[in-house]
Amino acid sequence: MSAPLLEIENVSRAFGGVRALDGVDLRVNQGEILCIIGPNGAGKTTLFNIISGVMRPSSGDVRFQGESIVRWSPQRIAAAGIARTYQIARPFARLCVRDNVAVAALVHERTLERARRAAQDVLESVGLATLADRPAGSLTLTQRKRLEVARALALRPKLLLLDEVMAGLTPTEIDTMAAFIEQLRERGIAAIGGVEHVMRVVMRISDRIAVLDFGKKIADGTPAEIVADSRVGEAYFGTSLDDVGAAPPTKGHS
Amino acid sequence: MHAALIGQLTIDGLLVGGVYALSALGLNVIFGVMRIVNLAHGEFVIGAALLSAVLFERWHANLFVVLPLAFVLAFGLGALIQRAFLRRLPEDLASAEATSLLMTFGLSYFFVGAWLTFFSGNFRSVPYLTGAWTLGPFSIAQARLAAFVASGIIAVLLALLLRYTALGRSIRATSQNVQGALACGVDVERVRTLSFALGTAIAAASGCLLILIFTVNPETGANVTLASFAVIALGGLGNYAGTLVGAAVIGLAVSFTGYFATAQVAQAAPYVLFILVLLLRPAGILGKSGA
Amino acid sequence: MKGRTVIAFAIVAAVLALVPQFLNGYARSLLYITVLYVALAYAWNVISGYAGYLSFGQVTFFGLGAYTTAISVTRGNLPWWEGALLGGVISAALAVPLGYLMLRLRGAFFALGMLGLAQTLQVVANSWQLTGGGSGLFLPPGSNALPAYYWTLAIGLLTFAATLFIDRSAFGLRLQALREDEQVASTLGVQVTTTKVWAFVISAIVPGLLGGGYAWYLTYVEPVSAFATRFDLQAVAMTILGGIGTVWGPLIGGVLMSQVSEMLAAQYPQAYLMIFGGLVVVLLVFLPRGIAPAVSAALARHRARAAQGHR
Repeated sequence: MSAPLLEIENVSRAFGGVRALDGVDLRVNQGEILCIIGPNGAGKTTLFNIISGVMRPSSGDVRFQGESIVRWSPQRIAAAGIARTYQIARPFARLCVRDNVAVAALVHERTLERARRAAQDVLESVGLATLADRPAGSLTLTQRKRLEVARALALRPKLLLLDEVMAGLTPTEIDTMAAFIEQLRERGIAAIGGVEHVMRVVMRISDRIAVLDFGKKIADGTPAEIVADSRVGEAYFGTSLDDVGAAPPTKGHS
Repeated sequence: MHAALIGQLTIDGLLVGGVYALSALGLNVIFGVMRIVNLAHGEFVIGAALLSAVLFERWHANLFVVLPLAFVLAFGLGALIQRAFLRRLPEDLASAEATSLLMTFGLSYFFVGAWLTFFSGNFRSVPYLTGAWTLGPFSIAQARLAAFVASGIIAVLLALLLRYTALGRSIRATSQNVQGALACGVDVERVRTLSFALGTAIAAASGCLLILIFTVNPETGANVTLASFAVIALGGLGNYAGTLVGAAVIGLAVSFTGYFATAQVAQAAPYVLFILVLLLRPAGILGKSGA
Repeated sequence: MKGRTVIAFAIVAAVLALVPQFLNGYARSLLYITVLYVALAYAWNVISGYAGYLSFGQVTFFGLGAYTTAISVTRGNLPWWEGALLGGVISAALAVPLGYLMLRLRGAFFALGMLGLAQTLQVVANSWQLTGGGSGLFLPPGSNALPAYYWTLAIGLLTFAATLFIDRSAFGLRLQALREDEQVASTLGVQVTTTKVWAFVISAIVPGLLGGGYAWYLTYVEPVSAFATRFDLQAVAMTILGGIGTVWGPLIGGVLMSQVSEMLAAQYPQAYLMIFGGLVVVLLVFLPRGIAPAVSAALARHRARAAQGHR
């Protein structure tokens, strides 16, 4: 196996006295889809903030393609190929949808005109092309989620961080989003998804699943291994394993 | 430098600091609930100061009459401003912070103009408590001590209000989490109005005390806003204990620069401190660093 | 810029350059004041309208330019326009480190930081021998008005052109993105610090250059008028009236209000503050987007209707 795309080594982060992350290790390979599951407050968003450079870890290291990026600025990390979305969509409300995406496309395109054309292409691919001229503030929740993804894609990332992309979506929309994430694999883009609920989908689309609980990684493995892990059942799923049991155990991708 | 002089300036500075602390508390109440930094704060302070100077000139009205009067008037004015304008700020123009800053910036100039019209541009003071007590090598100006003690009393009353009354609980709940407060049945709109009114009234109270110590005119309001904001910046936004430390620091800075440089330079001192602190420790001296 | 824009721009520039020949002294002074205030509003609009960093102290650079010119002329025997240029250079040179420091602050901290900076420089100018203290510095009087007008006009036109460029460029898009959400902009690859420092430098260099013309025009400089925060109040009110963060906003607001502003400030300074301060408050409630967006929406409707009519 080649060197991992992203390596997170013993990363901790404390806020005041609270340890939001406590010695987390994680690896993501090229084109791999990793889902991090854990309840709200388990540390998923903190982890995404650290990987994307918005926050520095209290200790530990993050390496992307072999290089340590913990001291890099967010913009440098974005240009290097790590894109992220936000848990609560944060569109540039008064800019039009196309320009929202063009901001990111400018990392690769030299002129605004070309960036806008590239943005239009990305909008086609996520099904927002007809709304390109609308102010982003007028989009619905679902559309905002798509815009988040479109902006991230415009960076042409090697790794996509999807913070709670499923949250607030209807079952149909969740399936659409799941299909989209599976497409990423074909395009060779790795993804880390942070997910609180919808285990059924997580089991289906993930190559690997990591479980965070109170800032600690308590399990890491294939969907089948995670389901079999009793610690996960206790810590996260509590007594109701029905939700997980209902899903097909795993869909082999190897 | 003589030790007695240092001691004297320290006493003077700490006593003034009490008034700055009160003014900053008013700013902090408003910020806590509304997330608005009221740039017109200094104008409310100065308005009350000038009012008490005029009432003293005309009728020798003393502090016990003027302070409650100014408090009530400012409370009404604050409620009116919140109801008529701040509540109706557009939500999609820019960030809420930006629009509220623009609006309170406009308000501050409106009131500078209004005070100039009512009170003229003359510098005024209240020669009310002019005596001083001697304490060993130090002299303690009665006016400063009175201002300090009164500030302390008002601050304690405010703390009691926040801790033990229904309104206080609503204010604290809204400061911590608007959604949570709403869920608990708090009438957030009403709390905002009362908080802005309360913050304005506290500004007015501190103005009545400030003029026992300083000479002011309508154009000195911006300095008061800066000094009050500097207190908060030093102590950390929303950090009440920090406010006291910040106020002491600002009081000392004003007292020492006032002696060793001109009064004008002394007015710039809080600002210089403010900038230094913000640049070195953006979250304030006692505030937590980082996000 | 497209061909038609360039031609329109050249015609307006030529008209504004020729007009003073046909005006008396009073009308000329009104024209000068209008161009000056419009240009100042444009400068403010870059850092505060496009980048979203509300500055209530850009007059710092205006005063700096005015004093640099006065000192250059009275103590250095330089021609005034060299002093004014120097004022622009010093403003820009100061704006770079200042921008790196101050733009780390946000919202109220930045706004009050700039306000305090202007006040502090006013204290410095008042207390320093080099700047003539409270009485200020006097420049040789003569036929100063016309050269000052042309200087101001040239800078105003350049500032307008810069705004046109910003509005249509990648730089401008990045500015607006960081105005909307700085953290998101940074995770989308925008070099936020560099971008906003550039905006700050543009918003500093323009008043820095204009200050010199103002000093030459008035033939004296003193602390209160050179660092008058009313210039920022005025820029705020005019830009909001016209439309904050738009290409035409400062022009519309500036042209509509410069005369009133000048008349009130000279004759009824108290009323001036009440009216301009009150105007900011009232506009934010009733016309927060200003005139320009309303006009362009009406134009768009008109065009749509015309297009339908042709079918």
